[in-house]
Amino acid sequence: MPKYDSAKRPPLIIDEFFQLIRYRDLVILIIENILKSRYKRSTLGIFWMLLNPLLQTIVLTIAFGTMFKSSLPNYAVYLLCGLLIWNYITQTTQYAMVSMTQGGGLLRRIYIPRATYIVASAGNGLINLLVSIASLAIIIFFLNHPITLSWFFLPISILILTMFTLGFALLLSTAAVFFNDTVDIYQVLTQALFFLTPIMYPPSILPTEIGKYLIWNPIIPLIDIFRIPIYNNTLPDMDIIIKAIILATIMLIVGWTLFTNKADQVIYRL
Amino acid sequence: MNNNIIQLENVTISFRVPHEKIPTFQEYAIRWLKRRRVSYTYFNALNNVSFSVKKGDTVGIIGSNGAGKSTLLKVIAQVIRPNQGRLYVEGRIAPLLELGAGFDYELTGRENIFLNGAILGFSRKNIADRLESIMEFSGIGEFIDAPIRTYSSGMVARLGFAIATDTQPDILIIDEILAVGDTDFQKKSAKRILQYHNDGSTILVVSHNLDSIKNLCNHVIWLEHGLVKNTGPVDDILNQYLQKDHPAD
Ligand SMILES: Nc1ncnc2c1ncn2[C@@H]1O[C@H](COP(=O)(O)OP(=O)(O)OP(=O)(O)O)[C@@H](O)[C@H]1O
Ligand SMILES: [Mg+2]
Repeated sequence: MPKYDSAKRPPLIIDEFFQLIRYRDLVILIIENILKSRYKRSTLGIFWMLLNPLLQTIVLTIAFGTMFKSSLPNYAVYLLCGLLIWNYITQTTQYAMVSMTQGGGLLRRIYIPRATYIVASAGNGLINLLVSIASLAIIIFFLNHPITLSWFFLPISILILTMFTLGFALLLSTAAVFFNDTVDIYQVLTQALFFLTPIMYPPSILPTEIGKYLIWNPIIPLIDIFRIPIYNNTLPDMDIIIKAIILATIMLIVGWTLFTNKADQVIYRL
Repeated sequence: MNNNIIQLENVTISFRVPHEKIPTFQEYAIRWLKRRRVSYTYFNALNNVSFSVKKGDTVGIIGSNGAGKSTLLKVIAQVIRPNQGRLYVEGRIAPLLELGAGFDYELTGRENIFLNGAILGFSRKNIADRLESIMEFSGIGEFIDAPIRTYSSGMVARLGFAIATDTQPDILIIDEILAVGDTDFQKKSAKRILQYHNDGSTILVVSHNLDSIKNLCNHVIWLEHGLVKNTGPVDDILNQYLQKDHPAD
């Protein structure tokens, strides 16, 4: 018989983890429902998921491709690699914030693990990323861009990226519950950061006065660990990998600790 | 813990009520610069509540609006964690707090059975095995594959009740939903609740309908302003309740 004793609760950071494992079928079901509701109404179905990044890339390549013809051959591959990671991080975190503040009413009515929606948002984002890699493959195929053994590094990149994204989503969702302008501020900041991140352009075009600050942009190593194996067909430098791992680990620990410790208060705020 | 299936010791729930509207980062920053803090008052929806329930008891919870009855049930269902005090619960709880709280109105009845089942902590396989019996008890019929937004509110409640009570729980928690659905379904659900009671489930009911409390319960907890005013056998407490606050005409 299950027993619950509030005096003998394990530490929150552990408790929430075990609760999520117990409710894993719920997390999976919510992810399925998100995917279903997004693609059910579109007649193109799953193809829309493939088409969307393709169209985005084609438009941007037509607009900017010729500008970087010499410094970035196969511009579309470079661009899409960066875009996929950028979208993965920003869309997942935004989705998590919105589902926590709007869908969070359920947390006040019935017990489910508090992180359910956020983990489901991250899972949904991960699936979108994997599907978009298929459209990336289509572009790579058409441009005859080489595919090498460096692709075998990608599962590690994706794992690091997922740790970062989940931690960031937990951090932002906690903030979003306590301050209701979090989503707006975040949108403005991410838009600014997008142009300060070499996604549409090579880092070399920035004047050195600005370029030297790029080492403070945390998104760059996260994009590099994904883009370098695909675009440059080599493994990323060790210092990039280590930077990304440290960043992702700290983000996940901070996000998880903050969220699980504030989760009981979240119920009072939603 | 002897044979108490539920035990509360000095449980306090205080809601934080801000004097101004919920702060934004902006306002927060301005306040911080002006060295002014946001002021709050604390409102105790439950105040040092202690009681215990023995296995197999049927307990009615009464009190006026805002007394803290729903809050108390949410504490026992572990939806709200107490700020202070201790809660001990033994066994699986079937919460009937807000029927259909976990429904997605765009999904079909069948899909919602799986969703709600997962929210209640059941595995997908477990729900698949019991799908037939849930569908049958709900009496939704061919509407089961239509989106829930096309259901009447009674149908939604029937489906919610059918999912939550399909397997016998150790503890059944009911917040004013005895009057759910049509008379036919009311009978059906009351029968199921009695059946579970006879088979050993512990039952907690919040209701303003004192007759139904009298019929179902052997024990009553009377809450007022977040405090336990009195507890005891059903007849004693109901008499006191009727005399004190609602003098006989
Ligand atoms: N999220 C919340 N924030 C602030 N106050 C709350 C919140 N939820 C409940 N309260 C307050 O707590 C008190 C108890 O509420 P509760 O819903 O438990 O009452 P109740 O006994 O179920 O009343 P009723 O008979 O009307 O259902 C009320 O005064 C209510 O205003
Ligand atoms: Mg109530």
